[in-house]
Amino acid sequence: MQNSASAQQIEQDVLAAMSRPSRCYLACILLAGLLFLGGMALWGRQIALGMGVAGISHPVGWGVYITDFVFWVGIAHSGTLISAVLYIFRARFRTSFNRAAEAMTLFALMVAGLFPLIHLGRVWLAYFLFPYPNQRQLWVNFRSPLVWDVFAVSTYMLVSLVFFYIGLLPDLAIVARRRPGPVGKIYRLLTLGWVGSSQQWRHYAKLYFLLAAFATPLVASVHSIVSWDFAVSIVPGWHTTIFAPYFVAGAILSGTAMVITLVIPMRRLLRLEAYIPVTHIEAIAKILLLTSLIVSFAYIVEQGLAFYSGNLFEMEQFRFRALGDYRLLFWIMISCNSLLPMTLFVGRLRRNLAYLFVLSLLVNVGMWLERFVIVVTSLARDFDPYAWGNYTPSLTEIGITAGSFGLFFLLFLLFIKVLPVLSITELKER
Amino acid sequence: MARQLIFDDQQTFLQQLEQLLADGIAGEHLEVRTPYHLSEVEALLGQQPSKLPFFALGGALAGFGGGFLLAALTSLDWPIITGGKPIVAVPPFLLIGYLMTILIGSLASFGGFLLLARLPRIDALVEEQDFDAHFIITIADEVAPCTTPS
Repeated sequence: MQNSASAQQIEQDVLAAMSRPSRCYLACILLAGLLFLGGMALWGRQIALGMGVAGISHPVGWGVYITDFVFWVGIAHSGTLISAVLYIFRARFRTSFNRAAEAMTLFALMVAGLFPLIHLGRVWLAYFLFPYPNQRQLWVNFRSPLVWDVFAVSTYMLVSLVFFYIGLLPDLAIVARRRPGPVGKIYRLLTLGWVGSSQQWRHYAKLYFLLAAFATPLVASVHSIVSWDFAVSIVPGWHTTIFAPYFVAGAILSGTAMVITLVIPMRRLLRLEAYIPVTHIEAIAKILLLTSLIVSFAYIVEQGLAFYSGNLFEMEQFRFRALGDYRLLFWIMISCNSLLPMTLFVGRLRRNLAYLFVLSLLVNVGMWLERFVIVVTSLARDFDPYAWGNYTPSLTEIGITAGSFGLFFLLFLLFIKVLPVLSITELKER
Repeated sequence: MARQLIFDDQQTFLQQLEQLLADGIAGEHLEVRTPYHLSEVEALLGQQPSKLPFFALGGALAGFGGGFLLAALTSLDWPIITGGKPIVAVPPFLLIGYLMTILIGSLASFGGFLLLARLPRIDALVEEQDFDAHFIITIADEVAPCTTPS
């Protein structure tokens, strides 16, 4: 970017998104808020009446809540991919999505973090989990994947938060300059006194690169560790070495789909068509296609491993998934995650935003079902036929899941009115 | 009194900065503010590479060692065998070390940045300045009156 007139224009256009909300925006806030409140009310009901209102019971002790946890951690994944990995590869289309994707990461992690608490049942006793000296003879087991998960997700949250804040820093200074009065003062405080001097930029550029370098391995490791919550056990269908890369690819697929779900309406609602060109959305659609192919390959390998192993339990598990009581969900999952994304081989469809939006919603449905199928079918049919049993989510579980979507969209909608949705500084630089 | 030169255009700004340096004004007498990072400015002012990677390295090593030791010493503190694994089970404890490498490395880099970039900067928090949209060169008091080009 060469002159200040176009720089001013960029500032104006991006910050216009933070101006008075439209009716459509308020309607979206209302809808998301109602969903969230409904979810909270159902959680309250579960706390009051006990875990009996949830459908989870023997043998399926992990149901929709753990499905939701894995789903939301997966959604969080694409944020780091778009922010850190594409930054290191100098992908130009990154600037159209990175801020929204980073915010999405944080909000998805916040939502994900609620599910272990919801699943806990007696949430007021959550402090039992903390390693403080006590008389219950509990101590931290660092050999357990659940403890690795705590470290992985907390690290991811903190690193993503720092990365998000650092990316925002120069933009906060711009907002502070353009917003008069006490609101501007709050933004100024958040800048910590950033003035954009050459001294500051020198360290800033290095910090951004270092954070991207630190965050890049997290793309591979966080969902690998989530997958080990399953793979380290001996349950058929879970105990497989393919789980880590399979989960990572799935997480990027679902996260990319969610970025598309959020960015296409946001682009229109905030009139940012000039800054988020269709070619950039097409580039993200290519990532969706690539990860869908990897996930499809994992589906095939997973079946192949089961049957090639000669292990009866493994073979029965995979037969059950495709042809048993949950077959409908399995085939919807295959359609949404493997078959439909293949249509993106057609360039015209990759550039058709309405089509992409609908496809991204379907991929989200498919990825949620994938987690459901993995979590539930393996528990429903493990080794002993006397211990088999099916699980149907209760209305409370479905309502709390819907509430989690409400919370996620509510946080995202608030974000687009409080912070610049595009990196103004990077747009000027571009 | 310090003199400020304000530019709308990146090219003119860089030419002027080069000219000032060619006129013999030392880089330390100039404060340059830009709306985005320009590596050309660093090169012109002859700034040393940032020392931030040392903070990152220190944090990463401390995180790795600290993470592994946290897991090992916690397990040794109450040695119960679980899952048939040794009390100090190296592979899972390396995982904790790996995650702490990233966490403490990132946080140390952030802390190092605040230290090196001298943030929070109270004067800039109080005084409202218009600096973002322009390229600004501020020439220090001692050289401003006599040597700056008109």
